[in-house]
Amino acid sequence: MYFEVEVKRKKYKVEVNESKTHWHVALQGIGEKPESFDISKVDYAKFDDAISFLFHGKSYMMDLVPSKEGYTIFTGNSYRDVVIFNDESLLHESLKAGGHLGDSAKLNAGMPGKISKIFVKAGDAVAIGKPILIMEAMKMENEMKATADCVIKEIHVTEGASVDTGALLVTFETK
Amino acid sequence: MFKKILIANRGEIAIRVLRACKELGIKTVAVFSEADRNSLHVLLSDEAYCIGPAPSRESYLNIPKIIDVAKKTGAEAVHPGYGFLSENEDFAEACSKAGITFIGPSVEAISKMGDKLSAREIMKKAGVPIVPGSDGPVSTIDDVRAVVKKTGYPIMIKASAGGGGKGMRFVKSETELESAVRGAKSEALNYFGDDKIYVEKYVTNPKHIEIQVFGDNHGNIVHIFERECSIQRRHQKIVEESPSPALTQKTRMAMGEIAVKAAKSVNYTGAGTVEFIFDIDTGEFYFLEMNTRLQVEHPVTELVTGVDLVQEQIMVAAGNKMSFKQHDLVQRGWAMEVRIYAEDPITFMPSPGKIMRCRHPQGPFTRVDSYVYPGYEVPMHYDPMIAKLSTWGADRQAAIKRCQRALDEFILTGIKTNIPLHKKILTNEKFLKGDFSTHFIDKDFDGFDKLFSTIDDRVFLITSAIEAFNEHKKQGVWDMNLYSHWKRLGRRLSLR
Repeated sequence: MYFEVEVKRKKYKVEVNESKTHWHVALQGIGEKPESFDISKVDYAKFDDAISFLFHGKSYMMDLVPSKEGYTIFTGNSYRDVVIFNDESLLHESLKAGGHLGDSAKLNAGMPGKISKIFVKAGDAVAIGKPILIMEAMKMENEMKATADCVIKEIHVTEGASVDTGALLVTFETK
Repeated sequence: MFKKILIANRGEIAIRVLRACKELGIKTVAVFSEADRNSLHVLLSDEAYCIGPAPSRESYLNIPKIIDVAKKTGAEAVHPGYGFLSENEDFAEACSKAGITFIGPSVEAISKMGDKLSAREIMKKAGVPIVPGSDGPVSTIDDVRAVVKKTGYPIMIKASAGGGGKGMRFVKSETELESAVRGAKSEALNYFGDDKIYVEKYVTNPKHIEIQVFGDNHGNIVHIFERECSIQRRHQKIVEESPSPALTQKTRMAMGEIAVKAAKSVNYTGAGTVEFIFDIDTGEFYFLEMNTRLQVEHPVTELVTGVDLVQEQIMVAAGNKMSFKQHDLVQRGWAMEVRIYAEDPITFMPSPGKIMRCRHPQGPFTRVDSYVYPGYEVPMHYDPMIAKLSTWGADRQAAIKRCQRALDEFILTGIKTNIPLHKKILTNEKFLKGDFSTHFIDKDFDGFDKLFSTIDDRVFLITSAIEAFNEHKKQGVWDMNLYSHWKRLGRRLSLR
């Protein structure tokens, strides 16, 4: 399973695989060499409601608290806020990468999908945070919102249309 | 002697007082708000009564309710701890009217020292050095200008009824003066219902040094040496020590004598603290204010002198003479205290919530005053301080080393605390040299970007990845087969 994980504002690519006796974890910080770890399930085990983790000869008792974006992980008297990007949030990221309303003057599809709903028409003034349209991709509905106040110039798709990556969806003008 | 005492407080200080009572064979009555049903002071006391909803105003500051509980339970005395009603003259008055002993100074002393301007005047009369500034309140901008002619800029404008940084303005130059005066006045009126302000010269490089004083009802007043509390964030102390690394024995004794003079001027009884601003550049010190209560940081004084300040407070309130004279008191070795707050150590935003794991440090000369335990939910309604760690050592270095060791041992998970900040402060070069002012955290401390460098990030990365994997597996969201080892094996084989 593939993730992206962010700790202390630094992103890592992470791959996790499970075998009967071990966890296989590969880590790669952006611009760094990948590292891989085979962690025995004896060294990484549930203890009460925590995780007892022996890493490089040092033992840690880890407590996880779910947060909005991932976890806050505590051990001893320190902690890290960890942001997890899984398939769902990676999709959101890539959709966003396809076109920021307000950044460029057009909105493109970040990946192939189906336009399931359009909330605006040409000439509409749209306030920041308001939904523009819903795009269905990978069985998920993604609401694309305005990231700045803008006026819709033209809508290039219709409800129900299937689009490819990069397809032009909406053009607009920012105020 | 009292047989039963009501403790009008919560948190670690309620437990500190409770301990003193138990050691003196006195029964304890705890009061608590609805948010504190499971707080530790409720569990440890002999009796406990709910006095209202979570907001302090409706519970811990509810004077009639507290007096009512004291009467019903037959408590002969009330200990107010610090904060809440500890410096509230109405409360002290209400206790005395109800025939209950208020463990603290007289109503008159509280009232005189509570108003900063009146305290300033009393101290000036008693020959205590005060920060150069206005004689009494100032009302117009021109009055302020006249004072500035003598003191020069920068200055501080302060509210007479002020506290906690409210109604206070720092003025660097003439151009800022008008808006600062207006701002201080309106803030003072809003917070304290009194827009009286005064002017003080601003000491550029100050240390906060305070003298513990103690008096009884038989005319004895002594000082119990100093505490330095210059390490502050948001005008709140976070690290305290005794002795102060900045004082010579001569200055220490001079400050002590002046503090006694200050306490005598209001016939002070019980435990009190005279706070001074110490000017690093000139070595001079000035009276800042007097706190008419037990201080948060009293343990460092207890550790270096062997005096149990809370027991002594209770004994003196019961009419006894204090158990020591000035010449009995010596400062032995060094003590450090760090305040553990439930807060983000970088932004200082409070982080209330449920504590998961909690184990206090132990071992030689290590003291923890705390009220939290595993599974306890730190309420959002009150002060975020959850523990004080104090250590003693033969000298400053030993006390600091011990404090570092104890901090390492501290286990506290589930909520964010400022322990990572303390660990970096205690290894900061300027701190170790004693070379710091009250601006240390804002200006000199350079460790904020290294607070989270002591533990390998990979420990957290790996844990988060494995747990995210487990969660997805549990939810069945992820198509695990995409990453099936059979497929991997198959692919690998086909590539051969």
